[in-house]
Amino acid sequence: MTARKPLLEALVSMLAPDDVVVSCLGANSRYLPHLAVPVPVFALCDSMGAAIPLALGMALQRPDRHVVALEGDGSLLMCPNVLATVAACRPPNLTALLWVNGHYESSGGQSLPAAPLDWPAVGRGLGIAHVARVGDVAGLRAAFPKARAARKPALLVLDVAFDPAEPIPPYSERPDQIRARFQIA
Amino acid sequence: MTLAASVPDTWIGTLMAAVRRSPAIRAVDAAREEEAVAIACGATLSGGCGAVLIQNAGLFNCGGVLAGLVNLYRIPCFFIVSYRGDRRDPVYYHEPKGRVTEPTLAAWRLPFAIADRAADLEGQVVCGVEAAARSGGPFVLLITGEDLA
Repeated sequence: MTARKPLLEALVSMLAPDDVVVSCLGANSRYLPHLAVPVPVFALCDSMGAAIPLALGMALQRPDRHVVALEGDGSLLMCPNVLATVAACRPPNLTALLWVNGHYESSGGQSLPAAPLDWPAVGRGLGIAHVARVGDVAGLRAAFPKARAARKPALLVLDVAFDPAEPIPPYSERPDQIRARFQIA
Repeated sequence: MTLAASVPDTWIGTLMAAVRRSPAIRAVDAAREEEAVAIACGATLSGGCGAVLIQNAGLFNCGGVLAGLVNLYRIPCFFIVSYRGDRRDPVYYHEPKGRVTEPTLAAWRLPFAIADRAADLEGQVVCGVEAAARSGGPFVLLITGEDLA
């Protein structure tokens, strides 16, 4: 299974000038300031499950931008209903990347409930029009442009390695700094 | 206001029917109240003005997102909340929610007002939106069914 950082680096390399990124709390938000992301990033640090609905509000408000939401499986498991809300709104400019590692990484690495979750089926079952599973960097490089081109709400399910020893950098920005810097032209 | 995210009850459903007739406001039907808050915040963060229309029971679901998103990032967020179970509510089973609504708002330090149907309701909405914008946080306008009559 692929580590998180190469997947994030691949994603960042594919971002286009009209993209906006909303990151869930935890590792993704902690890595992104170190990856020279060329587009606006709103990084959460304490609101599980908020990344996709926050991105949805942005996508509806700004149809001229493509909004990329990064969400964790633990967070989405708390509120999978948001996928139905997205499906109902049908934004053509929202792509959600679900980082699946089966653990609450930010809270100490506890396991999610040991259910055989089929996230692509959940996404399709709740009405997401474009769903794909991604297992490695090459898969992400193929799937992300297709998701963007689909012009439909998209969900990419990324299988990510869980490594308790991963040297994830600490948070380097405070919420007020993130908020102040986040500007969509 | 450019976007109104809602989970309806009887009273909010009536209000949202009017919102849907507005060409200026995007009505969003959310499946859960926490989502509605984040959706409204997303609209506001990207240059619009989002609002949340929910029942008081739904507001009780929103403690986490209020603390971890609205207050933490200081995002203006205007709420219209149906005050079920207040003394004017004819439905008996809402009463427990009515008893804890104002104490909960106070405990969560949520600025709020109770709509006065004898006064200018539109003006009260404007005041609430402006209060949220000034404070960079939430403001709750509590309404009853009578306010929509």
